[in-house]
Amino acid sequence: MLSWLSQERGLIAAIIIVILFLCLTFSIFIGLKQTASREKDEVFGDPERTLGGWYWTLTGISTLLLLWFYFSWGMARAFFPETGNELCQIAKINSAIAPITAALPIESRYYKSTTLIRRNLEQLKTLEKSMPVTAFDVVEIRELQKIILQSKAIIEFFSNPTNQSLESKIALEEIGQGFDRLSETLQTGFKGLVPNQEAFAQPKWGTELTEIPLLPTTPKGVLFDQISEKARVLTETFLKTRNKSTAADTLISSTKELINQVKARNENSEFDEEKLLKRTSYVKAVERIFRRLDDGTIFPPSALDKLNVSVNDFFTAISVTKGNLNLIDRILVPGDGIVKSKTQCTEQGSGRWLPKPTDVVATFMTLANPDIDSGGGYKGSTLLWWKWIQIGDILGFFIPDFLIDMLPGEYGRHSESGVFQPTLKDRMLAVAQGDVYLGAIPMLDGHIWDSLFRVIVALFLGIGLGVPLGIYMGVSRFFKSFFDPIIELYRPVPPLAWAPLVLTIFGIQDDGKIFLLFMVAFAIMVISARTGASGTQLSKIRASHSLGASDRQILRYVILPNAMPEILTGIRISIGVCWGTLVAAEMLAGTTGIGFIENVARVVSNYELIWVTILIMGLLGLAFDILMRWVINKTIPWRGKG
Amino acid sequence: MKKYWKNMVRASISACALGIGTIVSAADSVNVAFFLEWGTPNQISKVDKVYDDAMGVDVNWTDFSTGVQMTEAMLAGDIDIAYSQGLAPFVTAIQQGHPLKMVAVAMVYEANDCFVKNGLGIDSSNASELEGKTVAVPLNTMADFAFKSYMNALNVDMSTMTIVDQAPPDGAKSLADGAVDMACIFGGNSSKAAGEVGTPIMTSQQKVDAGIGSFDVVSVTEKFATENPDLLRTFLDVTDEANAAWKASDSQLKKVAADAGMSVPDVKAQMAGMIFMSEKEQLDKYFGKNGIAASAAAALGTLFSDSSDGLTIARTIDGSFLD
Repeated sequence: MLSWLSQERGLIAAIIIVILFLCLTFSIFIGLKQTASREKDEVFGDPERTLGGWYWTLTGISTLLLLWFYFSWGMARAFFPETGNELCQIAKINSAIAPITAALPIESRYYKSTTLIRRNLEQLKTLEKSMPVTAFDVVEIRELQKIILQSKAIIEFFSNPTNQSLESKIALEEIGQGFDRLSETLQTGFKGLVPNQEAFAQPKWGTELTEIPLLPTTPKGVLFDQISEKARVLTETFLKTRNKSTAADTLISSTKELINQVKARNENSEFDEEKLLKRTSYVKAVERIFRRLDDGTIFPPSALDKLNVSVNDFFTAISVTKGNLNLIDRILVPGDGIVKSKTQCTEQGSGRWLPKPTDVVATFMTLANPDIDSGGGYKGSTLLWWKWIQIGDILGFFIPDFLIDMLPGEYGRHSESGVFQPTLKDRMLAVAQGDVYLGAIPMLDGHIWDSLFRVIVALFLGIGLGVPLGIYMGVSRFFKSFFDPIIELYRPVPPLAWAPLVLTIFGIQDDGKIFLLFMVAFAIMVISARTGASGTQLSKIRASHSLGASDRQILRYVILPNAMPEILTGIRISIGVCWGTLVAAEMLAGTTGIGFIENVARVVSNYELIWVTILIMGLLGLAFDILMRWVINKTIPWRGKG
Repeated sequence: MKKYWKNMVRASISACALGIGTIVSAADSVNVAFFLEWGTPNQISKVDKVYDDAMGVDVNWTDFSTGVQMTEAMLAGDIDIAYSQGLAPFVTAIQQGHPLKMVAVAMVYEANDCFVKNGLGIDSSNASELEGKTVAVPLNTMADFAFKSYMNALNVDMSTMTIVDQAPPDGAKSLADGAVDMACIFGGNSSKAAGEVGTPIMTSQQKVDAGIGSFDVVSVTEKFATENPDLLRTFLDVTDEANAAWKASDSQLKKVAADAGMSVPDVKAQMAGMIFMSEKEQLDKYFGKNGIAASAAAALGTLFSDSSDGLTIARTIDGSFLD
């Protein structure tokens, strides 16, 4: 069932997208109608105005999901599942002829030859200026100048159309014709082409580690695939085509000889170290430029014109053959499209770092699979499941071992016959260490539970300690003045600043992580409880006092209820900040937890996994928040109505 | 002028129609990623602007703290060449299908060490006692690779161990505190700290005998390699010259130390453990038929992912720019 769902994720996405569109239009329709009917009898700024409005929630959620589907290319895959595969075939063509397009002003402004000449002339100019006159003698300087002059002459020679070698002319002509032929092939269309069986056996777009199936699965794709193979041959010829001729060879070899002469002198003669270094590095620089010139990659200015036209026509032919794929490519595939790397086709642009919603759900399902042996869970731990835990272990956790040490009696030792007979004290120790079976209880387990546990314990401690302290700080001069400097000093410190210390103080177990989260929750709770308590109207306190209330009663029945709205807002804020700190806390010494998953996923650039963790954290935070809203509505229904 | 605009309009229309994407200008500057606190001979060429002069373009150097960040910057198009990216982040990037290429080996060095806490009495002879113990490992790094190689070589069952994902400085601290029994570490300062309280599970000689070593690579984006092979060749040439000129003399060390942000003795110690091969050596040993580069990358790939395909990784290894 699951694997079937996973295979058909494109279809499922299509259905979801249609439903989302319907939801969007429906909710906007209802929303506008409601607004129109209520507009007249509502006052601007009335809190009642923000109540209700589920239809706008629906609008918001569907917009968000639709945007997600769109930018992750989920829409393209849902409605045009072959898009990825066909664009991959075109990417194959692009990557096959990349060396040719790089030589032409197609993706750049200049011919490659122009760029090369400009760069080399510039370098020759700097070399001329920076010649270390002290390191060479007069004759050598003249020689070096000659080398530079000859290098320039080589550039001039190659740039001159009359000197272009016949072979290269013919070869370029042939390559151009090759592209023309390819354009013609494209125009004949893809009717009658059949993808081979192997192609259909490939995993679908995005279902496996290999993002996009490489082999063409449609007739159009087959055509592009064949074209890319032929284009590759043209590229090979192009790369072999060099603007070389015997006339150039004499110029080149004479320059080479000059360079070798200077080099030989450097090697044989005795120069002091500094001078030698200057000489060798200068000659090296000259030689480097020369070597770039002598390989015949510079062509006369208009030698590639014809090829340029042919290649541009070829691109136009591709565009024509693409047909409706152009439209899909432009509208439904935002970003840089699909790029063929050495090993596979990958999505570039938003599709690369934003996984499709259905893929995220699929990854989540694999993670959520409690059966670790069949590939579920992550790094040997489930996402959220349950397990039996021994009561003995819990007992052992609470009874410290040294208590047993203090009991009278001796620990046993092995007898002469090599048998160990445990004494009473040994048995007690076993209890303290949790080695006794006392039954088992089911307990939640897994990454989510571990994170949740840390957050809940930290919140519990933060609220339990922070609220009383805050309230006392609000009502007592001693508490306020005594704790104020401490709290105010540590409160502004970002929790991450504690991180380096936590590890040495608490070690790698849960307590360090909980401490970090506790620090966050505690400060917020103290401040909010204090503000709430000190914000109580004096008239209320005076009134209850004059009615005979004791201090305790004032605290319990007047101040606490008055501080309640602030406290509950504080809890809401600290829940949010705790989730925010969780990733950092679990980075310290990761063994389990949502933050741990994200940290590892980051190292392996697994964007799907990163989004899964982000969503889990977002949803858990949302769940907490909804719970808190409910609590707020139940406990302080009067808030904002005074 | 009019013609220019006409051309521009035509070009942009055709570019949009073809889905080529943005018009990119020919490389007039090359962006290179490197590590801080990781001394290499070519830093002298970097400081002296030999690269800029030789390549005829501006070479911008950006420092990174992890190889994964280098990958991300390359994918975002901000970096063209990553000098001395670890093999581990490179292989993970390839497994994710990213369009990168390994074009050279930056340096070969001894595999990162796993330090066993002193006092446990565990060394390579009784390594199986590590079973059931807690180990700090920075996951999916070269140290992780080293850890797994050691455990395989010493025949220790890793599934019984508690593996804690910790960055090297944290791992060293945990080892000192006794929170973990073994810590696998990379980086000079952390290794020093871990060496104070622990002993490497394998000696240098044992590592060599077991064939456990590691190397950093020079990786580039495929786009840069196809469009500017001349620049890439010159870059590797200059690097090769810098490596050949390296004599670890005081003046050289001083220059590298200043650029790497380390003290001279530290750089000296660090670089003493590195081998910078000439282009010819690399071609012979690493990029030839059955070269080490491909086999090591494949081995690394299978350690990190069960569904790894060594042949696929091997196709992204290309020594043709080294000649």
